[in-house]
Amino acid sequence: MGAFYCAICRQTSFSGKAHIFGKSHQSKLKVVLVKFLEKVKEARRTIKNPQVERFDCTQHKRKCWCYCCGLEVERDVTDGDITVLFGGLLEHMARPDHRKGTHTFWWENKADPKLRDKFIITENEMERFKTEVAKALGSFEDKEDGLIKQQATHIRAQEQHRQEVLQSLIEPKAELELSNTEGPCNSVDEASSSSHFRAPGSDEQARSGRVDQMVARQWAGPGQGLTFIGYQDSSNSGNVHTGAIPPWLQEDPNEGRSGTMEQAIGPSLQDFLKQKEQEKLKKLPPNRVGANFDHSSQTDANWLPSFGRVWNSGRRWQSRHQFREEEGQTNRQKRKRDQGAEGTKKPNRLNSDYSMHCT
Amino acid sequence: MSLFLAKLSCKRDIDEVIKTVAEKVLVLRFGRDEDSVCLQLDEILSKTAHDLSNMASIYIVDVDSAPVYTRYFDISYIPSTVFFFNGQHMKVDYGSPDHTKFVGSFKTKQDFLDLIEVIYRGAMRGKMIVKSPIDPQNIPKYDLLYHGI
Repeated sequence: MGAFYCAICRQTSFSGKAHIFGKSHQSKLKVVLVKFLEKVKEARRTIKNPQVERFDCTQHKRKCWCYCCGLEVERDVTDGDITVLFGGLLEHMARPDHRKGTHTFWWENKADPKLRDKFIITENEMERFKTEVAKALGSFEDKEDGLIKQQATHIRAQEQHRQEVLQSLIEPKAELELSNTEGPCNSVDEASSSSHFRAPGSDEQARSGRVDQMVARQWAGPGQGLTFIGYQDSSNSGNVHTGAIPPWLQEDPNEGRSGTMEQAIGPSLQDFLKQKEQEKLKKLPPNRVGANFDHSSQTDANWLPSFGRVWNSGRRWQSRHQFREEEGQTNRQKRKRDQGAEGTKKPNRLNSDYSMHCT
Repeated sequence: MSLFLAKLSCKRDIDEVIKTVAEKVLVLRFGRDEDSVCLQLDEILSKTAHDLSNMASIYIVDVDSAPVYTRYFDISYIPSTVFFFNGQHMKVDYGSPDHTKFVGSFKTKQDFLDLIEVIYRGAMRGKMIVKSPIDPQNIPKYDLLYHGI
């Protein structure tokens, strides 16, 4: 007595083995066996006639639950390219531990003994299956080869067709080009050599090689057709290969005349430097403090708060007030002095001078 | 086609251009406007000039107008294209015997664009000689005449 979990009913029963003989257990057992039997029957059918197919990752990796052993078993056997359907299941059922498991299962669950043998696969059957599989593999590979050969011929036919189209386009074009190029391009030689090439016939490689040659010859045309403007005698002055001073760094004999031009060029140098400064400024962050400061604006003396006293105590406006008063006094004094000087002093001085002179 | 490209007609103009073009590749095409290969090259130059305006300035020079330069660069075949950056003559290894200039025309616009980009990047990194990205098959072939230099 004790807790006993029955995997078929998926229930724990405490009445020991009595529940096995009950109706519910047996009906569930029948259902289970029927389902499992279907799979086994299909597997048996393939013993005589194994199905070999190309590996299909969506369908060929199915797993099957073997009730007898309580294990999950791979249904098919595959090596990545080819699959033998139901191979895995058959292999599993041929094993001795599966046989033992089947017997224990039957004993534990009190199933119908007639059905038991169907779930086991004997060694003879396994041998037969293996030979059949070998044969099936052979025929499958032959079929695959046939398919591949078909595809290859199809591809070759397409390639030929394309080459022919290319040929038919290049030939009239090449004739036009050859007739247009000038003497130095050896057009006569080209025409004769290309006609020689056309004779040998329809080997594909030669054809593609010919196309490349024609294309290369068409482009080499300008290279041979460059105008020659005469040997540059630089034995007096030296040239770039001998490392002479470049003309733009040499003193110009016309520079005497261009002295005025030099002066005119002056500001442009300043502009250039300004432009450089501006570019540097552009790299600074645009929202920095004082970015929009107008450097050309005029400021008066009151821009800076210059009224601060050093030894004062008291409020700031007092110092400002005092400063302004003092400023106002000095301004008034200045104004007064100026006005006074104009009004009174000068005439006095003059009179005195005159008087001096007189006497 | 060369109507759309700026022309330089005397040595002084060329000097000025070399000294003043800053932070951009300077392309000087030495050749004659009527020559057929020069016309092909000029077409490529004028079509790409706008797209390359931030990286390169392109000018046309007639070989007969500045013989000093023609002698200095030993220009025997036209068109020849010389590259400068910030007043410094840039050399490019095209797989041809002469690294100081590009002789002939480019096969496609893209070749020219790639070449300008490689020169610009090399110059920005401080290299005075760069390797050309153009397929050697597309570089025009010519014979370099050695006259006891």
